[in-house]
Amino acid sequence: MKYRLPFTLLFIVIVMVVMMAVVRPYLIETAQLTPFFTTRVFFSEMLGRGGLGVIYYAASFLQSCFAVPWLGASLLVALLVAIAYATRWALRLPNPAFGLCWIIPFYLLVRFTRMGYQIYVCKEVAVAFTYPILILSAIMLVGALLRIIIRRKLCPQGWKRTFLSLSIIAFAGSAYWFWEQTYRDANFLSSLQMKQACEKGEWEQVLRIARSNRQEPTRLQVNLTRLALYETGEMGNQLFAFPDGAAAYNAPEQQQWLRLMGAQLLYYNYGKLGFAYRWAMEDLVEYGERPMYLRTLHRVALLNGETSLAEKYDQALRHTLFYKEDADDIQREAEAIRPLLNYTDQLDGDNGLVEFYLLQSFALTEGGSRQMVELSLMFSLITKQLDGFWPRFMALLPEWGSNIPRHYQEAALMIAQLQGGMDTSQLPISPEVRQRFERLVEASAQMGDSASNAHSLRPEFGDTYWYYYFFVEGLKTT
Amino acid sequence: MKIEDYILSIATVVLLAACTPSLPEQAEETGRMAQVMPDNNGATLPPNIAPLNFEVLEEGKTFVTRLSTRSGEEWIGGGRTVCIDLEDWQRLLTAAVGDTLWTDIYVRQNKAWKHFQRMANPVVADSIDPYITYRLIRPSYVTYEELTLVERSTQDFDERIIYDNMQASKGNKGQCINCHVPQGQGQSGRSQFHARQAYGGTVLIDGEHAHKVNLKTDSTLSAGVYPAWHPTLNLIAYSVNETGQVFHTLDPQKIEVIDYASDLILYDPERNEVTSIERTAHDFESFPTWSPDGKTLYYISAHHEPQGEDIDADLDQNYQSLHYNIYARDFDVATHKFGARRLIFDAEALGKSASTPRISPDGRWLLCSVADYGQFHIWHRSADLCLIRIDDGQWTMDNDLNSDESDSYHCWSSNGRWIIFSSRRMDGNYTRLYLSYFDTSGHAHTPLLLPQRHPSHYQQLLRSFNAAEWMTQPVAASRQTLVDCIHQTAQPAKYAGSALLSAEDEGSAAPIRISKQNYHNIYENE
Repeated sequence: MKYRLPFTLLFIVIVMVVMMAVVRPYLIETAQLTPFFTTRVFFSEMLGRGGLGVIYYAASFLQSCFAVPWLGASLLVALLVAIAYATRWALRLPNPAFGLCWIIPFYLLVRFTRMGYQIYVCKEVAVAFTYPILILSAIMLVGALLRIIIRRKLCPQGWKRTFLSLSIIAFAGSAYWFWEQTYRDANFLSSLQMKQACEKGEWEQVLRIARSNRQEPTRLQVNLTRLALYETGEMGNQLFAFPDGAAAYNAPEQQQWLRLMGAQLLYYNYGKLGFAYRWAMEDLVEYGERPMYLRTLHRVALLNGETSLAEKYDQALRHTLFYKEDADDIQREAEAIRPLLNYTDQLDGDNGLVEFYLLQSFALTEGGSRQMVELSLMFSLITKQLDGFWPRFMALLPEWGSNIPRHYQEAALMIAQLQGGMDTSQLPISPEVRQRFERLVEASAQMGDSASNAHSLRPEFGDTYWYYYFFVEGLKTT
Repeated sequence: MKIEDYILSIATVVLLAACTPSLPEQAEETGRMAQVMPDNNGATLPPNIAPLNFEVLEEGKTFVTRLSTRSGEEWIGGGRTVCIDLEDWQRLLTAAVGDTLWTDIYVRQNKAWKHFQRMANPVVADSIDPYITYRLIRPSYVTYEELTLVERSTQDFDERIIYDNMQASKGNKGQCINCHVPQGQGQSGRSQFHARQAYGGTVLIDGEHAHKVNLKTDSTLSAGVYPAWHPTLNLIAYSVNETGQVFHTLDPQKIEVIDYASDLILYDPERNEVTSIERTAHDFESFPTWSPDGKTLYYISAHHEPQGEDIDADLDQNYQSLHYNIYARDFDVATHKFGARRLIFDAEALGKSASTPRISPDGRWLLCSVADYGQFHIWHRSADLCLIRIDDGQWTMDNDLNSDESDSYHCWSSNGRWIIFSSRRMDGNYTRLYLSYFDTSGHAHTPLLLPQRHPSHYQQLLRSFNAAEWMTQPVAASRQTLVDCIHQTAQPAKYAGSALLSAEDEGSAAPIRISKQNYHNIYENE
């Protein structure tokens, strides 16, 4: 125990700290991408995958426990510790060499923690647990054979210090490699936190995460922030204060991540139910009956009034370990979405360009509920399609009264200046906004080319629609 | 046998006897039917169907179910889940032929037994074909992953995978497969299915052998799509289609599968030749089917005058104006030539659209699906099965087959007494198979859901049963034979001109979609 306990405790501490403090959102996401159902059909389907069917079933069960991160992480750590002990037993290694036994557990851990975005497109069954279970079984088998063949310990006299040194080097090297290889991309982890907060309807939390972001956001983060601003009613006041970034996803195939991670969530919350259902089903076909998809299918079916279908998906979710739906949550969510369903159905396609489709769809929408008109107004501002601004602005004005959201005040002044034909003096635009606009006009007149203006005006006007309109070029949508 | 074995045997018998449920001596009548899943009450049964296992959904602690016949045969079982032994079930069915199989359900609630109204299932002497084949698929759109062609014994629960696309290719070289269609009900041993994308082509099965052909020619719109084997000759009529999928933003029907162009071809496997049957620019022909004597080819067709140059945009806007009628052409079995086209069923005049016509083996009835528009009725909630008497054109949709959800793809059994069809009546989205008895007076009886070993199977399974076909015998070609065949290069078919007796207007030889590279035809081979 003199040697074994320190290595074991160190391994547990290192792994649990990384799992719980660094990649916790990744564990939660992995769980909702893991199909596991306590049904006969699921068991049969797992068995139907061939000789490893039972292992797949067990691994899926264990991996779905990442929904409670400490539980899933503990189960994985326990399995990996068992592998280390089994290795020592199988190879009859002396205690000082115990550090060598942790190479395989660290390697198996890295196979899972380095995946990052790839977890969404991974088709391996329960990638975190299947290999560890297989390796443990194999080690036990090999160990049993070796113990029949070799009957004495592999411990030459006088090698104790050498073994110990090797042990420490191997353990430290593996631990460092594990840390290095674990996917810790800040945008990825932040995106996961934002996405998970969106799924729980914790919109303020989404905005807190967005504000705490220190690097240029990806389009997924921008879209989740935009959704949270809409849900909190702050879109008209704050949207252009958040960075409109387009940082590359730290993964190959840039085009697909917004679609894979955000399409269902965005379409569902913006009331494009057909497309939310469509992508949930497309992904379910491709990647299996993941709870994340079933939740979308269930909620869309409920909003569609497809009672029997909703019941089917609800039953499926009831047979998961951690994703039983809460009727009150769904009802609250549905109430927020219903006003966005006040439009005529049409046949369409998004070609996987989620943000572009949403922007254009709302920017070109006429009429609808108050929420739809506001989305039309804002999305036409984002896409710089100003022609429909005044009818939408005027439609919303009675409800705003004297509290017109700041960005709409900014847009009104700017569009009146650009297009003429509107006397804004009678509009309840705050003196502060008017003065700011005058300063912008003066500053612009004094300065030089667009690039230098963009740079010098950013500190004062970077959070305004004016700055976005004049200096943020190109519509970023992927 | 040792003394211990005797003791063990006796103990087992005693234990089993103690566990055998008995009917309660007293039970209060509820005056209503018990809620069960699946509910096949009233459905007419064939004498050779697999057991109709079910689950009692009523509240209660103890359950007893009795199945009985007028002749005194009886089966009593306990538990919420009622799974009947195959031997017992066959004994009951045999005794009930020409009469009724009764089901009585007793549930113990709050220490008192309740008896629900008796369920009754008429049992007829006409048997069903021993097998069906279908494709097991998720109700999917563009993506595909695991697809299997399955052969299921209708007399028990045995299933066999005929072909599994994952065995042939995976990942980026994924493969889509279309449904398995036999000649007749599989009596000749000939059948076919298509593979798309990786290793694409049409697999023609003949007994234990199979070979792959590419039916796309420069003179036809696409490879073969919806097939119809000639009942006696080795000939297959196909539709060739330019098909796309477009998505509803809000309508729970979710998707429209639209033909932007379609024609008909005849394929002669012996000569490996394709000839054109229909090749018109503004008429969309599809879903061919033969009369049982092989002298008439039926099919659907819709006429559409484009409103602009872009047919995709035009039909995406006006998809509800596509109304398909049923037409027919006479076929000369000696010359393999077709006569003039004639209208059989004017669905458009009813404001409806017909699809998937199939003729009964006695040649007297045409069964088709009819919906408000279009031809891909599996996604149309308005789709119902319509029965047309061929000699006088009388039709009815007022039959026991239909439901509020999509009722569509159907097939006649070899004796013409049973219809198997697809319906989404359970939940509106997942297709299940129903069997209906069709009596000699032309009446389709209350259908039964294809039984499964476990009653909750349909509730738990997130896949659809697609395009079922009756089979009188199993597919002889092994799964490995088909995988090997798929890996072969498809033999390209030759185009051999028109199959019409006299020349007619031609037009849609070239694809009519203006910028085809921008659109995906879901029936492209590659």
